[in-house]
Amino acid sequence: MVNFLKRVFFVDVLAGLALTLKYTFHRVYTEQYPTEKPKLAERYRGAPRLNNDPETGETLCIACDLCAQVCPEDLIVVGSERDPDTRKKVLTTYTFDTSRCLFCGLCQEICPTNAIELTQDFELATYSRRNMVWDRTRLEQGWDRIDYGADRETASGRESSRYERKTG
Amino acid sequence: MIEPTILDAKEIEINMGPQHPSTHGVLRVKLKIDGEKVRQAECIIGYLHRGVEKISENRNYFKCIPYYDRTDYIAAVSNGLGFILGVEKMAEIQVPERAQYIRIMMTELNRIASHLLWLATHALDIGAMTVFLYCFREREEILKLFEALFGARLTTHAFRIGGLWKDLPPGFVEAVKKFTDEFPARVDEYEQLLTKNRIWLDRTRGIGVISAAEAIEYGLSGPPLRGSGVPYDVRKLRPYGGYENFEFDVPVGKNGDTYDRYLVRIEEMLQSRRIVEQILQKLPSGPIRGKVPRVLKPAAGEYYSAVEGPRGELGYYIVSDGSTQPFRVRIRPPTFISLQVLDRLVRGHLIADVVAIIGTLDIVLGEIDR
Amino acid sequence: MDSVFIISYVVIPLLKIAVIVLILSGAIAYLTLLERKVIAHIQVRLGPMRVGWHGLLQPIADGLKFILKEDIVPSRADALVFTLAPIISLVPAFVVFSVIPFGPPGMLEGVLRWALSPFFSPETVQSIVESGSVSGGFVTDINIAVLFVLSVSSVGILGIILAGWASNSKYPLLGALRSSAQMVSYEVALGFSIIGVLLIARSLSLVEIVQKQQQDQLWYIFVQPVAFVLFFICGMAETNRLPFDLPEAETELVGGFHTEYSGFRFALFFMAEYASMITASAMATTLFLGGWLPPFPSVPAFSFLHLVPPVIWFLLKVFLLLYIFIWVRGTLPRFRFDQLMKYGWKVFFPVALGNVLVSAGVLLRFI
Ligand code: SF4
Ligand code: SF4
Repeated sequence: MVNFLKRVFFVDVLAGLALTLKYTFHRVYTEQYPTEKPKLAERYRGAPRLNNDPETGETLCIACDLCAQVCPEDLIVVGSERDPDTRKKVLTTYTFDTSRCLFCGLCQEICPTNAIELTQDFELATYSRRNMVWDRTRLEQGWDRIDYGADRETASGRESSRYERKTG
Repeated sequence: MIEPTILDAKEIEINMGPQHPSTHGVLRVKLKIDGEKVRQAECIIGYLHRGVEKISENRNYFKCIPYYDRTDYIAAVSNGLGFILGVEKMAEIQVPERAQYIRIMMTELNRIASHLLWLATHALDIGAMTVFLYCFREREEILKLFEALFGARLTTHAFRIGGLWKDLPPGFVEAVKKFTDEFPARVDEYEQLLTKNRIWLDRTRGIGVISAAEAIEYGLSGPPLRGSGVPYDVRKLRPYGGYENFEFDVPVGKNGDTYDRYLVRIEEMLQSRRIVEQILQKLPSGPIRGKVPRVLKPAAGEYYSAVEGPRGELGYYIVSDGSTQPFRVRIRPPTFISLQVLDRLVRGHLIADVVAIIGTLDIVLGEIDR
Repeated sequence: MDSVFIISYVVIPLLKIAVIVLILSGAIAYLTLLERKVIAHIQVRLGPMRVGWHGLLQPIADGLKFILKEDIVPSRADALVFTLAPIISLVPAFVVFSVIPFGPPGMLEGVLRWALSPFFSPETVQSIVESGSVSGGFVTDINIAVLFVLSVSSVGILGIILAGWASNSKYPLLGALRSSAQMVSYEVALGFSIIGVLLIARSLSLVEIVQKQQQDQLWYIFVQPVAFVLFFICGMAETNRLPFDLPEAETELVGGFHTEYSGFRFALFFMAEYASMITASAMATTLFLGGWLPPFPSVPAFSFLHLVPPVIWFLLKVFLLLYIFIWVRGTLPRFRFDQLMKYGWKVFFPVALGNVLVSAGVLLRFI
């Protein structure tokens, strides 16, 4: 009987409506993405970076080729030559194909000097496939991209306008 | 002469997918319908085939792991765990207790996340679009935890052979605790919107009924099997990775219909939360990675390792020839097997039910096509 | 023909029609925004935020987008019917508004006098103002208005059926079949739910129904609550709104009857849906919520409510009902085709019939 009355008076439906009404006035969870960038975890594995020694500015990479060997996708190519004086290997080129990367992190795990690192930068989209292969300069210095949120950030010193497009 | 139109046909053949809002990826179902009644359904799969099993034959055991995240991308953590447990069994690697506990915690959180995604899309398919976003809100919390611990949200590459990549970051335990404290109230909200709602009941009760005997014959596992009343759960029957230390119930349904499977999954989320709470209470300290040889060459032989993924028994059948690379890996994807009952379940139902049934099987095409 | 006739039966009605069409188009556009915003907030999201302040210009951007889109007619489609269908669906939704009273008779008297007096002699002005429904807050008042609304609005569904048929494609056809079944099942219950009101008001004219509510000092929702709930539910079904949006059923039939439509033709269907939502709300307001009347129309203590113009009261009530439409959409799952029929014939229809019998009995016995 109670159940019947509940049915007649739409108790089930009204309970749902009450909940949705409650949430109508609830704080929203939306992040306004391009203007409001999310804060990613420190461990996040995003765009690669080849680190330089902060003191000397020299690359940390010792061209040991471990990262290239551990990579499941074989996408890292380390170029090196032997320094005739010191008999040490010196890094010449380094390419990283972000289009094939799994972002598994094995390369940064194995690197003995923490030279290759996956950073919190997650905006990797570009306009061409060629652009997805990162060379050593871009790995070391980062790259300029279209920053769709930038026009709201001019106060903080950024100058690039919204539609300005630079290639890295 | 008047051209024959589709109205002259007694049976219409209609294509659902591969681009259809509710085939959950790229499943294509060829439906033979009479009016709206479904006479026959034929699943055509393979649109997402990437050859993960073949890829594994050309990588060493360490390098294979990230690829399994990409089979069932909704439950990447469980998928990785299954393979890693298999390799650890082959190479007889001991895993420290702390690592085991953290692994279980994360797999259970993954189970919650996966069921949330299921509930979200299932409800959306049946038209309740608000549940969709409520579920995603909670799933987001879990993904944030994944991001903090694993460094990625979806394809996590969660565990390493022998343990973990890194220990818990600071503040992690508190964050998990906050989530588990809030979670039951959220589940109540979904239930308030659905469980008693007359439309939801009408749409799910008596839809896609499968008896226990038949479910076993089809080889179903996970919630579709438990919804029919069979308490089969790998975690309980063949405990792996330390599950024997925790208390939890295996919820089962009675009628084997869509509604029972819904209830089973809701209850499973709460049980997973229970496991996570127990882990938080007795999380031991210690190392997080056991001794693993740099070059892993398991003895030749055949191994099977199964875990209870969110969708059912997820098995890895690994054949080693004694080298650094697996000779053959065969994945037993739970939803590949549950998808075969689709035809049996939808016959005689209406088109609207096909959508509900695809939803209740909780298929993930990445896993079916591999 | 003298000028009085032309002005009072041609010029002024045309002006009114123009105003209503304009306002209605604007209302439809902003109703879409309202819906997106309300549903977004129900779902703890923000909804459109980019175009204009909090997305206020979004409907305009959407409209532009629809106009600029390529106009596609599927090659195997019946081009003529394919083009006609959205128009058939939209026009009736607008036509209905010719009989819906936004305000009481004589509402525009002052305005008319002010506007006409510079050009005409006082006698002419007087005769213009007094002729027909010129000064009323409605285009026309016909004595079969309720029937007119019911019949015209069901023409709209023909548009949906034709669209499904003309697309020559399977999903739209299924959508069209669903909508014809739905129309048959709910039209009946809808009609019967109104009869209770008609019995009490003893009139089919919408203006008179509202005036009766004033005389009886009571909105009819308090006399006929069951009928109101029925009317509202059936209205939802008639306008193809969730939980009754089976002809569209995005997750089942992709887009249902408008799967093959794009660009401006699609926009017409879209407008038709929202226009019929407004129609249903306006009808419910007129029949059950006292139209332009403020709450407690004849209680002296609440006479200050009369300070608010009647049109505002009317619009407020319509807005409230529209909000409920949207709110329900954000909450409920969708019915299945056969369940919808089951509810229509086995629940709503008998209840509506019972309601009519009971009201008739009570009226005969006690009044
Ligand atoms: S993240 Fe993984 S796939 Fe990418 S470069 Fe490093 S090792 Fe290779
Ligand atoms: S592992 Fe590190 S040090 Fe070795 S080559 Fe790669 S980046 Fe350089």
